[in-house]
Amino acid sequence: MIEEGGNTQSKTPEDLAGKYLTFFLNEEQYAFEILRVREINGLMPVTSLPSSPDFVDGVINLRGKVIPVVDLRTKFDMPRAEADDETCIIVVDVDDVEVGVVVDRVSEVQDFDAAQIEPPPALGQDVETTVILGMGKTDERATILLNIAQILSRGDMKDIQALADGEAA
Amino acid sequence: MPEQDLSLNSLEDVLAAMKAASAENREILIRLRDWLTGLIDLELAPEEALERIRPGRDALTRVIDGEATEPQSVLTGAAEAVEQGVQISARLEAEEAQSEGEAAGRGSAPTPDVSAQAVPRPAPPAAAPTAGELMEGFATVLPADSDDELLHEYIAESLDHISASEAALLDLEAQPEDSESLNTVFRAFHTIKGTSGFLGLDLAKEMAHKAETILSRARDGEIRLTGGYADLALESCDVLKEMTQAMDGINPGDALVIPKNYADILARLNDPESSVDTASESSGMTAPAAQIPAVAQAASAVAPAGAAVDSAQNAQAASGAPQPARHAGKASESTIRVSTGRLDSLINMVGELVIAHSMVSQDPEVVSGANPRLAKSVSHSSKIVRELQDLSMALRMVPLKGTFQKMNRLVRDLARKSGKSVQFQTEGEDTEIDRNMVEVLNDPLVHMIRNAVDHGIESTDDRREAGKAEVGSVHLRAYQTAGNVAIELRDDGKGLDREKIIAKAVDRGLISSGESLSDSEAFALVFQPGFSTAEVVTDVSGRGVGMDVVKRSIESLRGRIQVTSKPGEGSVFTLHLPLTMAITDAMFVQVGDERYLIPTVSIEQSFRPGDETLFTVEGRGEVVMLRNEIIPIVRLAHLFGVTGAREELSGGLLIAVEAEGKRCTLMVDDLLGQHQVVIKSLGEGLGEIAGVSGGTILGDGRVGLILDVPGILKMAQAGTTTRSGRAAGAAKAQSEPQETLRSA
Repeated sequence: MIEEGGNTQSKTPEDLAGKYLTFFLNEEQYAFEILRVREINGLMPVTSLPSSPDFVDGVINLRGKVIPVVDLRTKFDMPRAEADDETCIIVVDVDDVEVGVVVDRVSEVQDFDAAQIEPPPALGQDVETTVILGMGKTDERATILLNIAQILSRGDMKDIQALADGEAA
Repeated sequence: MPEQDLSLNSLEDVLAAMKAASAENREILIRLRDWLTGLIDLELAPEEALERIRPGRDALTRVIDGEATEPQSVLTGAAEAVEQGVQISARLEAEEAQSEGEAAGRGSAPTPDVSAQAVPRPAPPAAAPTAGELMEGFATVLPADSDDELLHEYIAESLDHISASEAALLDLEAQPEDSESLNTVFRAFHTIKGTSGFLGLDLAKEMAHKAETILSRARDGEIRLTGGYADLALESCDVLKEMTQAMDGINPGDALVIPKNYADILARLNDPESSVDTASESSGMTAPAAQIPAVAQAASAVAPAGAAVDSAQNAQAASGAPQPARHAGKASESTIRVSTGRLDSLINMVGELVIAHSMVSQDPEVVSGANPRLAKSVSHSSKIVRELQDLSMALRMVPLKGTFQKMNRLVRDLARKSGKSVQFQTEGEDTEIDRNMVEVLNDPLVHMIRNAVDHGIESTDDRREAGKAEVGSVHLRAYQTAGNVAIELRDDGKGLDREKIIAKAVDRGLISSGESLSDSEAFALVFQPGFSTAEVVTDVSGRGVGMDVVKRSIESLRGRIQVTSKPGEGSVFTLHLPLTMAITDAMFVQVGDERYLIPTVSIEQSFRPGDETLFTVEGRGEVVMLRNEIIPIVRLAHLFGVTGAREELSGGLLIAVEAEGKRCTLMVDDLLGQHQVVIKSLGEGLGEIAGVSGGTILGDGRVGLILDVPGILKMAQAGTTTRSGRAAGAAKAQSEPQETLRSA
């Protein structure tokens, strides 16, 4: 969807330190950089789009503007969830393109300093780690810091990335 | 004396106040002194004037400080000194203006009417300055201290002035006596000179200044702005326009674009007499330089009586009518510039307001009528919202005047180049059209007019032989028809040669030789790529590039083009365009659980097929026989993978659609009615979605998808219709239950 994917490799924990909006997907805690987040809306009627990638749920009317909505569960191959009162659409801004992201539940805004951030864990090929900026640690739990630009980039990006990684190794 | 009300806006005000002031009133005196001190410190008046004003100010100070023995007389003396300063300043200004006028007059020997040819002209200057010398000392870069905002304003303003003066110059050619047009041109150049000088754009300033010199001679009645002079003025417009346009987006310190012919034009402006003459000699023109007005008059004498009266009247209408309108418009309308981004978001918000309001007005509480006062308020606000919506849509509309004026110039240049005499008339310039469309419309119109002048209109000799008026006529007209705008280009030239077109088409293998074609089918062939029947490829047209471009651009505007032509009498090209790109009529259809909008422009008809008209090909490809034509059936449900759609074909609903000469029928479950919808992009994030051209906000606030009929036809042809469509449908169907939940 978006050409530029954002380079995850070059970011150090110092670069990543800052405020994040945390949310839940399938009882795992994730987070977006707060600067990318435009607004949070309750779930609204989504018009599904034909011939689009699976993880694109459809389009919504955001105050007169039509914007696409992606479903992160589908993107991460998780089972789809039934919508409830807590289901939210987080509107993020990636290089001036607004995109809605459906999540189970929005949690809070959390500050992570450099010491709390670790690089993405090596989990083998089955887990897509290129979309992960890093792991944020708090006393209670680990939060997965997501690279939203990478998530919204073309689907084939991950293949290219995997190839490149394979060659580098 | 009501000192609070004293307003000091100019030196004259101060002087009057000084004369009236009493020496007792220190407060006023202090204000006056401060004003004068400011003037002196900032050197806002010529130095010679300041020399008088300074002692006046000092005397005033003495009065204020109580040092003067006879304060009132000292005050009078001070006022006198300032008065002298004012007089000097006024005199200097007058002198400056005069010397400018003289400089303008100096280059002009007794040349009462240049358009009358064979001008006795003064001996050329001893050594004509070369281009390099002319431009010496001019800054060729954008001054480093340029203010971005100011520059931007300058560019926009100058371009306005240039196009205004272009139009006025063309009017002047037809009516050399029209002093209002002359003043328009003069003002435009004068303003450009002033503002470009202020911004340190020496090149533009010099060009405007030199052109102004010629114009002031025209204003003094020394010369007429026709023929070569008009060329020169128009060319300086072009140069200024090119320079100004190139300034957009460059940074301070960057090199300015200097048009190739800048120096040449400047040199010719310096010595217009020699160049004007040379220009018309070297171009080998047979017609006199002032051909357009002159020939227009001649035409009525030569041509057959009926046509002559007609053309004379038309000419009157064309040149006379628009003028009062323009002059009136200038006086009454004031405008501001607003960025299109802001405008678009305003329009978006109004659209949202309409939807939000309709939710309120359809609320059971309101509809039930249980609360009359609420119902009344809601209906009142409905009225306002509706008006607001109309107004917001009108914001994007601009008159076609600007586009038509450009065409006026084009016809003039083309006619001069090809040595034909052509009378160009426009009508309905005030017809409004969406701003975005105006830009797209420009190119097709240019192509069509080139064709009309170059191929359509015959040479003067041929016309005389054919017994037609010697002056060809090209008529550009815009008018509104039932929600559409039509633009009609009519010429009275030789018309399209049906036989030649068909022969050429057969030659190119576009049609087979035996085919019988209707006139409109034959004429439609000229829109095929690379199709031209012109025997000679000229500088202007005949390369066969053009008409296909015309068709494509008109189609991109969701419009269509119509051709009628009679041999020997001329052709009419009519463009039918929607009023705005932002709104379209669409048929709302139900397909399974989904609803889609099909643009009505593409729909031919909808029908329920009888069993006997349905066939399959190779057991899979479904077709329907409609009026003896076999048309493939595309099941939208399969194409888009929608569940819950009707499966049986017989008794189902088919919509015959056509685009780019191909047709098919779309199978849907139900027609839900026709709507006028505001087209929105689906968001930049998504890129192209096959089969969907855009979205719209429906009455319930949801997004509705507008189908892309040409795209669907392509998908259908690529074979994605039934088989792979079904597969995709199956894949999508798995995720369907949740999806419906979400959208519920």
